[in-house]
Amino acid sequence: MTFFNTEITWFLDVYILLILGYAILIMSSYLMLAYISTKELRKYLKRNSFVDYDVLLTSEFAPKLSLIAPAYNEGLTIEENVKSLLSLNYNNYQVIVVNDGSKDNSMEILTKTYDLVLTDLDFHPQIETKKIRGIYTSRNAAFKKLIVVDKENGGKADALNVGLNIAQNPYVVCIDVDCILDKDSLLKLAKPFLESYGKRIIATGGVVRIANQCVIKNGRLVEVNVPDVMLSRIQVLEYLRAFLLGRMAWGKLDGLLLISGAFGAFDKEIAILSGGYSTKTVGEDMELIVRMRRYMLDNKLPYSVSYIPDPLCWTEAPEDFKIFKKQRSRWMRGTIETLSIHRRMFLNPKYKLLGMLSVPYWTLFEFLAPGIEFIGLIITAVFIIFGLLNWHFFFLLLFFVYSFAVLFSVIALYSEEKTYHKYPKQADFFKLLMAAFVEPFYFHPLTVYAALVGYKEKIMGTKGWGEMTRKGFTKKE
Amino acid sequence: MTEFWELYKNGQWEVPFLTFSIYLFLAGSLILYLIIVASRNGKIKKERLSKEYSVVIDKVLSAVIFENISFAEVKKDKNFLVLFDTPFFREVLMESLINLHKNYEGIYAQKLEQFYKDSGLIKSSFRKLKSLKWEVKCKGITELAEFNIKEAFDQIIAYSKARKKTLKIVALNAAIKLEGTESIKYLVDHLDPIDDWMQLNIIGAFKKHDVGDREGIEHLLESQNTTVIALGLKLIKELKLTQKLPYVVQLADNTSNTVIKYKAQSLLQTLTA
Repeated sequence: MTFFNTEITWFLDVYILLILGYAILIMSSYLMLAYISTKELRKYLKRNSFVDYDVLLTSEFAPKLSLIAPAYNEGLTIEENVKSLLSLNYNNYQVIVVNDGSKDNSMEILTKTYDLVLTDLDFHPQIETKKIRGIYTSRNAAFKKLIVVDKENGGKADALNVGLNIAQNPYVVCIDVDCILDKDSLLKLAKPFLESYGKRIIATGGVVRIANQCVIKNGRLVEVNVPDVMLSRIQVLEYLRAFLLGRMAWGKLDGLLLISGAFGAFDKEIAILSGGYSTKTVGEDMELIVRMRRYMLDNKLPYSVSYIPDPLCWTEAPEDFKIFKKQRSRWMRGTIETLSIHRRMFLNPKYKLLGMLSVPYWTLFEFLAPGIEFIGLIITAVFIIFGLLNWHFFFLLLFFVYSFAVLFSVIALYSEEKTYHKYPKQADFFKLLMAAFVEPFYFHPLTVYAALVGYKEKIMGTKGWGEMTRKGFTKKE
Repeated sequence: MTEFWELYKNGQWEVPFLTFSIYLFLAGSLILYLIIVASRNGKIKKERLSKEYSVVIDKVLSAVIFENISFAEVKKDKNFLVLFDTPFFREVLMESLINLHKNYEGIYAQKLEQFYKDSGLIKSSFRKLKSLKWEVKCKGITELAEFNIKEAFDQIIAYSKARKKTLKIVALNAAIKLEGTESIKYLVDHLDPIDDWMQLNIIGAFKKHDVGDREGIEHLLESQNTTVIALGLKLIKELKLTQKLPYVVQLADNTSNTVIKYKAQSLLQTLTA
């Protein structure tokens, strides 16, 4: 019996040490990234205050861009969204809308609004895709930048690949058609492609923010508000933490593994040479970046991935749990698939910082974290059942994690306040502050649950995105 | 510290560690919250002051432009003098002055330039050039260039060789505004590569400031630095300098660099088409 007790005590000690060790590791890595991000963000803003983007606007030497916007059942908003894409502040660009076999009236709306006619566009597909039904351009000279491709449904990655095949310019900007872009977003996204000498910039990514309850007029964001619905409100905070405190640091370290599928620019040649978007994963945005990086490293080509911290793209966040769960489980499946496809990079010195830091970080803190939390929960439940739980220690540990989560959210709010100050209304600030206190109890368990569903779906072999219904942007009355 | 070490040795460090961390996190959150509140209040106050100052400044500057009032007369207003001593007021004044100057030309612009000199704002711009912070230097350079202070050229051109890229671009931009082609002559001997962004800025400055004197641009084609040659070709193309075509022909014939040869030939095709 004494031996048994000693065993249990030993197991308890090790368990506590492991939990604490993991928590401390994750917290210190978050703080480290936040520190690098904040420092870099300030430097960026200082530099940017002297940048004259007009030189890009008026020069024929500005990088030529092709915007690729895949659309599936976007009939509700497609007219306005395409109009806003056509009116961005940039000269050298074309817009390619790829209708991915929508079941709604998207194609009819586009044809009618933009006076589209079938055209014989000369292009040489380099990536295999689903069949194209027709390529359309407008009879109206005002829409000469627009190309609409109607194709059989093949998923987002397939639609993006069609865009890559058709794009006539050396750089492609892949966006979600329902996103609201800042008028200067292309100017900011294009600049890094000009800045590096001797190193090829293969991609640039921008910050995505939540637009729920913001006021949108003529496809432009005119007033920023914090949503009343708690689920989307916390996502505002979550995006601030991810984009302002996380990705900025990874950008600085040049270890960025993900450029949001909602808004990112790529060197077309490298994207095609790497094979284009993978249709085998639902995390095609992350997978493409990892593959492009891997291609450059395998071929010993100097390169970099750039990151723009300005809020350039605004998107709608899910407001009800069902859609949120679908989105997050898909994200988890995408992460698992990408990490699994590129498992050779894990702790492989050949892939430098990417192999030694970025991939292990994503594996440990993005892929495994929900699983570790779940296992911890089960073990805690077992301790409770057998009366082994030290309640005092348990609550202390819980509060330790909770207070850190609150601190990290407040750091994100501080960073936002000191930089972009997009939420000037006092009420909005307090809403976000309140969200910081609620997040660990309400939102975090939901994300863990959704990630576990993602694990399950991956094991069960679920493929595809599933239907993602959006409400469309609503105006605050 | 010794106490913590003792606790660690005894295997009883977890509880004190957690308690300490919780206090630390809570205190950190509270301090950041207070900083945010203070920062927001500061912004609100600044916004209010800026609005108040703008009313005074607009009145003064419109009198300077349209009623030929000099700074000596403006100074007679004691309220203005009191405000003029405030750094933030001077900041708002400088901003308004620059914005107005951008919108006016000829005699009105000259009156604003005179006001800039008489008010002593020019001195603070020169002082900014001596700052250790590059961003302050950039501000000073921008101000001096805006008001066409040619005496600042030598100091400004020196910064165009700075290591900090932003400072370099701002200085070159300003120098081009002040002295045109003279500012880029030194680039012929420039050793480091000039990236496309910087090239675009130089071209942009020529276009924006409508530099009349374009003598000497052809010298860029003689550089040993291929990025400088590329800049020269781009400048000739964007400014449509057909009178420089013989130099481009010479370059296309003599260069051994295939990329430059191709660029020169393509430029010849464009300009002679």
